[in-house]
Amino acid sequence: MTIYSFWIFDKHCNCIFNREWTLSSDSSSGTTNSKQNSETAKLLYGLIYSLRNITQKLSNTESGNKNDIRTISTGKYRVHTYCTATGLWFVLLTDFFQQSYLQVLQHIYSHIYVKYVSHNLLLPYDLTENQPILMRGQGTRKITNRHFIAALESFLSPIVE
Amino acid sequence: MSTPPIQTGQVLTSQQKAQQFKLFEDSLPKVNQLAFQLLLNEVVPLSMAVEEKVFDDKIQVNESEDQTNQKAEDVDNSDASNITKDIEDKLHITPELDLPSHVLIHQISTTNAEKREGVIKRLQSIGFNIGSKLTELLVFKNNPNIRFKDAEVLLIMKFICRDVWKQIYGKQIDNLKTNHRGTFYLFDYDYRPIRNFVVDGDISDPSLLEKETSLAQPFLEIPIGIITGVLSSLGFKSEVVACKASFVDKPDGTSKLNFPKGVSFHIQIVNQ
Amino acid sequence: MSTTDKTSSSHSKSLKIIGDEIWKNKTEKINAELFAMTYGSIVSQLCQDFQRDYKKVNDQLFTMGYNIGVRLIEDFLARTAMPRCEDMVRTAEVISKCAFKIFLNISPQVSNWSPNKEAFSLIFPENPLSEFVELPMDATKDLWYSNILCGVMKGALEMVQLDCDVYFVSDVLRSEQQTEIRVKLNKVLRDEIPIGED
Repeated sequence: MTIYSFWIFDKHCNCIFNREWTLSSDSSSGTTNSKQNSETAKLLYGLIYSLRNITQKLSNTESGNKNDIRTISTGKYRVHTYCTATGLWFVLLTDFFQQSYLQVLQHIYSHIYVKYVSHNLLLPYDLTENQPILMRGQGTRKITNRHFIAALESFLSPIVE
Repeated sequence: MSTPPIQTGQVLTSQQKAQQFKLFEDSLPKVNQLAFQLLLNEVVPLSMAVEEKVFDDKIQVNESEDQTNQKAEDVDNSDASNITKDIEDKLHITPELDLPSHVLIHQISTTNAEKREGVIKRLQSIGFNIGSKLTELLVFKNNPNIRFKDAEVLLIMKFICRDVWKQIYGKQIDNLKTNHRGTFYLFDYDYRPIRNFVVDGDISDPSLLEKETSLAQPFLEIPIGIITGVLSSLGFKSEVVACKASFVDKPDGTSKLNFPKGVSFHIQIVNQ
Repeated sequence: MSTTDKTSSSHSKSLKIIGDEIWKNKTEKINAELFAMTYGSIVSQLCQDFQRDYKKVNDQLFTMGYNIGVRLIEDFLARTAMPRCEDMVRTAEVISKCAFKIFLNISPQVSNWSPNKEAFSLIFPENPLSEFVELPMDATKDLWYSNILCGVMKGALEMVQLDCDVYFVSDVLRSEQQTEIRVKLNKVLRDEIPIGED
């Protein structure tokens, strides 16, 4: 059971957090919010965006239940997505061992993101802070507060190894 | 734990009284604690936003008092703006919004001393009001656990540490120290309103902690107000009470993922 | 057609169950009277600061609510795992049966739908913010005491791409018949598309 990387995208198409593990045996390996991942982030965003878009168009609008993707499997990894109504995407790239990581992603949203971003009044809830230049995928600001990162590490480490 | 059923006319044991009071408390209407905490926390950026507006108004009033010709024009202007406001109300246009909360909170630390004083006064005043009303609520609701005789200060402090803190912050004060001559220290090592507060930066940077505590400082003003409000409504008026708050180190073993410092409230009561 | 009705009413029932269950089991609670008192202290202070210019107080309460709403929405969505609502009818149900239940333990009624189903009213048989409150004479004309609620809803709805006008229509505190807030959809905000994809 291996996790390769974790990403958060916001409603402005920006990657606002990413964590990549390079060694499956070492949960402290890898990078956090590395600038080198910006191209990968854009590609990942595009992949999820396109498939979500098409899926929603294909869903039966009369039933009133909008369809949304949950996982995307490629030859080498599986992408798990959890998309909130506020436009946040929590994304996990893993091996094929587990079918769903929905609960993991939901936990990160409710117990880490909400706690250290939404309820933290010392930092913005929207990293573009109303600057149009940072919208539509052009923003580079990331969640970097130490409690968020520590809580995430502590939650995901046992799962990574 | 089974207490014998309460029969009317029977003298109640203290255990039965406590149980009866608990049933009474549980039956009262309730609200989500989160709603309450968010409301209380938002008062801090609110105070800054109001201070800015009130400050500007104060200056405008002073300026128009200096120029009598301006006065006539001001009256005309205000008529026009009143009409615009009426129209806006009828069209239900969303009012102009303030800056986001985190920006206002940062502003408190960077604004001039006069405005910061204004913000602090406002926060303490709201806290004072809450403290007084809460005392009325708790003391006069026939709570068998609370009894004040001769305004004994220590009892009142314990009331604050146990009942007041539990009602408002969901926990009791962790430690109470006193020299039995009017000086009290109340320690809250996990002050809930700021528990999840954190700023960006590396923990190895010494200025990080300073920044965090200075941004969180205004969040201590409401409890200062609450404490003085409680004391005032129980006979210790503001003239004889001084209350300050500061950040202190936490005892070892507490969670590293919460706000790094605990809070201490230093209360000085004159003539004790 | 009948299957849609059945699903929508069962959705409605399940929203109530979700709201009730979270309120009962997953919520730390405090005395509503303390909550009302605290809010009262805040409104008093504002009336003092703005020297009884109640229009300014209304606006300030609104913007305070907005700042709360934009953050509160994430907590709400995380707790309920609620997906985006497909229309205003569903939105109204979620607001009245889940949101108000979870945060304030009340269930306002949804009514007065506009013909195009884009505006509705919430009628509040009870309001924990204004328990035991009596307004002074001059305030009964201009003050919307619980205007913070409008701000909270405006902020929260905006975060889920619904640009709405949220405003008080009537309030029992003003000796009016009922307490009514109107929610009117202006437009659905379009989700952003990354530059290069459009």
